Amino acid sequence: MNSSAATVAPRRLVVTLSRIAAAVLGGYVFVWGLVALSISGLAAFGMDYDQAWMLAMLLAFLVYLVVFIWAFAARRLGLVWLVLLCGGAAMTMGAQLLVSD
Amino acid sequence: MYQTFRQSMTWLHTWFGLVLGFVLIVVFFFGALSVFDREIDRWAQPATRFAPQPMPSFDHLLRPVFERITEPDPDAVELARSMVDGPLPEKYPVMDWSAYTTHRDPVLDTYVSFDVPNARNPDDHVHGHQTIDPRTGAQLSASDLKIGSEFFYPLHYSLHLEWMELGYWIVGFAALSMLAALVSGVVIHRKIFRELFTFRPQKQRQRVTLDLHNLTGVVALPFHFFFAFTGLVIFAGIYFPVSETQLRPLVEAHEQAEAAATGLPHDPAGVAAPLASVDAMVSDARRRWASRGMGGDVGFLFVNHVGDANGYVSIYRAGTDRIALTGQGIHYQASTGALIREDPPETAIASVNEFLTGLHLQHFRHWLLRFLYLFGGLAGCVCIATGFLFFVEKRKQQHARDGVAGARIVDALAIATITGTLIAALSMLVANRLLPEHLADRDEWQRNVFWMTWLASGVHAFWRSGFTQEGGAAPAWREQTLLVAVLAVAAPILNWLTTGDHLLATLETRYWPVAGIDLFLLATGVTASLIAHRLRRPALAHAHLATMKP
Repeated sequence: MNSSAATVAPRRLVVTLSRIAAAVLGGYVFVWGLVALSISGLAAFGMDYDQAWMLAMLLAFLVYLVVFIWAFAARRLGLVWLVLLCGGAAMTMGAQLLVSD
Repeated sequence: MYQTFRQSMTWLHTWFGLVLGFVLIVVFFFGALSVFDREIDRWAQPATRFAPQPMPSFDHLLRPVFERITEPDPDAVELARSMVDGPLPEKYPVMDWSAYTTHRDPVLDTYVSFDVPNARNPDDHVHGHQTIDPRTGAQLSASDLKIGSEFFYPLHYSLHLEWMELGYWIVGFAALSMLAALVSGVVIHRKIFRELFTFRPQKQRQRVTLDLHNLTGVVALPFHFFFAFTGLVIFAGIYFPVSETQLRPLVEAHEQAEAAATGLPHDPAGVAAPLASVDAMVSDARRRWASRGMGGDVGFLFVNHVGDANGYVSIYRAGTDRIALTGQGIHYQASTGALIREDPPETAIASVNEFLTGLHLQHFRHWLLRFLYLFGGLAGCVCIATGFLFFVEKRKQQHARDGVAGARIVDALAIATITGTLIAALSMLVANRLLPEHLADRDEWQRNVFWMTWLASGVHAFWRSGFTQEGGAAPAWREQTLLVAVLAVAAPILNWLTTGDHLLATLETRYWPVAGIDLFLLATGVTASLIAHRLRRPALAHAHLATMKP
């Protein structure tokens, strides 16, 4: 542990910053996708836009909180990034398809 | 990054709590004050110390007021500069008029929306506003700052950082971190129920600090969670602007469909039309509410597409007797006064949303709950403040040995955000009473006193916290607490000298807005004096703990 302290410290800083970024930015991308997809999806099923918007926003911050905590608790940081970015991008694209429909 | 879930939650709690805690304590403190924003306004504006008024006659009083608001406020014109590419428009066409009041408002805020013809986003508009005495229609001076509702309240949610809505984002991020800190805090302190009943003031300082941190965190846990969560929901449109961006086409389709379904025109017709008697519409709306067994106070009055054939008038019932801010809207054609539509009962989702946001904003009448909000907010301040102190106490000996400044920096920032915030707010009230009544830009002077005294307290905190770096206690705590005591007692005395409304008079006439603020200021002064006295004795090691009490 002592001998590797010098090399471990910068690496640990990078990992920590990556986790913070995953929680804050990755989480934001994921929740954006979720909000966009749930509003456009519910609207496509005939729900009033304002109603869909309110429902999505009531859930948005609870989901954000869950993925935020998960980003710090998860063993595999790569998986966190993968799920949040790819999930967020997929949902955002799904919403885009529904909007341009 | 750590071996166990609990370790990762400890890391999250410590570092997010520390960094965002400095924002959160400001948000909690000014949120607590905002619960009594109207009352602080009365204290700061002696000319408005009269009873709350109902919505006045539109035809005789409000209409001339709206008609004399012919251009946007100066700061709105500044805002318009960021909306257009070329020069500012010569003229801003009037779009709509509105007025909002609650059961605690003697004065009335009237607003006019103006179109910005050459704005990049055609939906952009700017506002002009006047605060009036609803008994006469006379305008209150624009430089007569409403310290409660125009300064402390916006500070609570925007930090007065309007550029790019930066303040809203910082506060929103702090609120999300608050939620994460609450969840991780519960994970760290597993014996959560026991902590409800644990406070050992005779133990060593670090233990007492932690006890108080846990106690205030756990007792008010549902309160803290609720307010951080609903605060985010209230500004959800800023944090996730999907409606203005990605989902814009859906919104446009929805607005057209809604206009067709409700009969409320989305756009002006471009044909001039007169305005029928709005007072007659208000009486009709009152009759309709009464037929449903509801009280008839008008809370929000809205005239859309002013002077146009598509114009309509919306009248909403005040939110005095229920959680939602306004409701039971009834809409009339502006030119004829004919009924267009009565809003149907709210859907389940809208009711939940109105309940959550309305409970946060509390415009309804419930004084017991109002006081619980105040104490909940202050408990939040104690929780965050003791978090800082625990951080410092736990590390300062080690930092002193290692020659690291960490504990001192945190201690100085804690002083600046705990006693410093109090000093800034109290100095603003003192300045409000001392500045000459007809001083030009009186509102700017008051704002500057607030920011300058806050800055000075921060500088003082860094200057007088050297002992913390050596493992001792910073003299800045006691010095600033003394200043809090002096200012908190000076404010009610100055109120007496400048307005004649001393405490005996306001108590006798039961004028609670001013009597209550004076009493609260005096209680702050007495508490701060007692704490400053205890901080004189370094032998009482744990005494500096008590400085969190506002």
